[in-house]
Amino acid sequence: MSSEKLLSGRATKQNPLPSSSTSHAKAATIPSELILQIFKYVTSTADLKSCILVCKSWCRCGVELLWHKPVFANNASLIKLLITLSRNTQTFQYSLLIRRLNFSFMGEDISDQILARLSSCERLERLTLGGCRRLTDVGLLKLLEKSDGLVALDVSDIENLTDSVVELVGERCRRLQGLNVSMCKKISDKGIMVVASKCRSLRRIKLSNCDNITDESVIVLAKNCSHLLELDLTNCNQITNKAIKPVFENCTQLRELRLACCAHLTDESFTRTTPSLFEQLRVLDLTSCTLITDQTLFKIVHSAPKLRNLVLAKCGNITDEGVYHITRLGKHLHYLHLGHCYRITDHSITHLARHCTRLRYLDLACCNQLTDASVFELSNLPKLRRIGLVKCALITDQAIFALIENRVVAHTLERVHLSYCVNLTINAVLDLINFCYRLTHLSLTGVHAFLRPDVQRFCRPPPKEFTPHQRQVFCVFSGKGVKDLRAYLNNAFIGQQRGRITGGVGNAEDQVVQQPITTGADIEDSVISEAEGVGGDISESGEGDNDTGRDRGSIRHRSRNMNPDGDEGDVGI
Amino acid sequence: MSTSTSEKASENRKVTLKSCDDVEFKVEIPVASRSILLKNMIEDVGESDQSIPLPNVNEKVLRKVLEWCEHHVNDPQPTNDDDDSRRRNTEIDDWDQRFLNVEQDMLFEIILAANYLDIKPLLDIGCKTVANMIKGKSPEEIRSTFNIVNDFTPEEEEQIRKENEWAEDR
Repeated sequence: MSSEKLLSGRATKQNPLPSSSTSHAKAATIPSELILQIFKYVTSTADLKSCILVCKSWCRCGVELLWHKPVFANNASLIKLLITLSRNTQTFQYSLLIRRLNFSFMGEDISDQILARLSSCERLERLTLGGCRRLTDVGLLKLLEKSDGLVALDVSDIENLTDSVVELVGERCRRLQGLNVSMCKKISDKGIMVVASKCRSLRRIKLSNCDNITDESVIVLAKNCSHLLELDLTNCNQITNKAIKPVFENCTQLRELRLACCAHLTDESFTRTTPSLFEQLRVLDLTSCTLITDQTLFKIVHSAPKLRNLVLAKCGNITDEGVYHITRLGKHLHYLHLGHCYRITDHSITHLARHCTRLRYLDLACCNQLTDASVFELSNLPKLRRIGLVKCALITDQAIFALIENRVVAHTLERVHLSYCVNLTINAVLDLINFCYRLTHLSLTGVHAFLRPDVQRFCRPPPKEFTPHQRQVFCVFSGKGVKDLRAYLNNAFIGQQRGRITGGVGNAEDQVVQQPITTGADIEDSVISEAEGVGGDISESGEGDNDTGRDRGSIRHRSRNMNPDGDEGDVGI
Repeated sequence: MSTSTSEKASENRKVTLKSCDDVEFKVEIPVASRSILLKNMIEDVGESDQSIPLPNVNEKVLRKVLEWCEHHVNDPQPTNDDDDSRRRNTEIDDWDQRFLNVEQDMLFEIILAANYLDIKPLLDIGCKTVANMIKGKSPEEIRSTFNIVNDFTPEEEEQIRKENEWAEDR
């Protein structure tokens, strides 16, 4: 690195401290510590590149920032970086400046060869490769060979990966704090045990959809890694109460615990083994833990009084009593999912609305005993942004009018799910979209009044896997669709028909062809769940946001971006 | 500790600061305490009639800095852990923008003084202002904006340009 020495040698002379009284401060005489401070606000990569070409002292200040976490405009710019790394003479030893790499947005472009060419980056701290599905053990083993200082690794959704990568990480990266191997189906206890026993400072681990994982490795994890903040075991369906016990005994710092679809879990997991206070626990996902009952809720609410997000979708044993327990969380509760908890009635929901006044997100899909009375009360929630009432078929226009009558909800509502609320009319829904100006999403699948070509043309295309019948009843408006629907209905109806609307909008002129459609019964619940985002989908990606690989996509979305507390989304601290 | 009571008691008391060109400023303690350096000094020394010499700041700059401190006297003290949020926010409020609408030399003097006196919020907006002057400019334009001499040889410059060619905006 002779040229590097040359640069730094000359630069020291160049930086005289500003002389006191008569000093005329100039950019050229500013000490490098302050140049660095200024560069921290130069956020664009291109601007930073311009800075390092200004003069030698600016170059030395800027080059580390520029290479610390390289951001690539496209594949071509990555290739250019690789070419620099392979040059024989480099002004700086660039590979050692790279501390963070994130290729998750480049997915399929990333190959084992690319990783191999990055293997000189020995000081990597964070490596994010989620969704780079072409990668195999070969590339990762090569890249990680010397990365002893790795703090966070995300290899989620790389199906080819095996335990050998995880074992290497465990052996080498003793400072590891975050590991995301979600959807790496080949990963098993063997690999996780190594990480669990060697990486004692582990804070976040995501094992969702790693269905080979059993109690064995989770127990070791819980016993060794008492600093765990986040544990995601979604869809690890071999997990039993035995694994949860040590988690509750040792990991008292937990902020986020995801146990969705761990269907073997019973009340025993929660009632017998939650001795201490989980002051930090904010997120608990128990979707489809179908065996749990109100007793679990009683215990959880006492042990984790500051829970913010609680997902209980498809916990079918939960009754009003359970919801009464939940209301003790009071203003701490922001997010509650009770979809398919069909035993719940107006009694507990009105109570909930009165006590948990900071609720932002509430899903009550398929709670089909609920009536307008619940919605009347919910319309007082001052922060409600999203409400899900799919298949709450007793709901009528009166509920919608109540929602908008409360001026506050009209200011906050962004997403409203009303599919299969079959009694609703255009009249009420039009009021809803006119008053809720923030509305970006409205689902009305299977609502008779909306199953007409002139209205459905504003809805987004149904998911590809839907049957012809499902397509026919599909009616979901989002983004521009909501605006267009609002404009169309206002034009078509307010002008000419408001006066006569009592006669029933559906029969109006406008060449409306009423489709002879039967709704509801013959679409399976599971399909609806997926389509309406009922299945514990915390991200707002429900209702077929992505056409391909939607299931996977939404899980990934969740594990990456789900960020209820607004801290950094990536693994690690 | 009863910081709140001592703060109250010090409200109307003043401290004397002396610039490097021997001009004295009588400043209310809460105003001077926007500077962490001065705050610590005042706390350490306790009550004293002696003036505090500031060998790195001249009268013109000190006057300017104290103007800022006075305007921001009631701002909450910055905490250490919001470094990142400060960095993400590139906005500068209107008053501060007008305050920093000065000759470039003065701008850098303010930055140096804010650094020496340890006034983080002032240092931040100063640095942000300079960063905003860099935005969208070519290296040559930056040099002429700040009057910086290009000390690269053409070969060095060309090599660094090549090595960093990957860095584009997305």
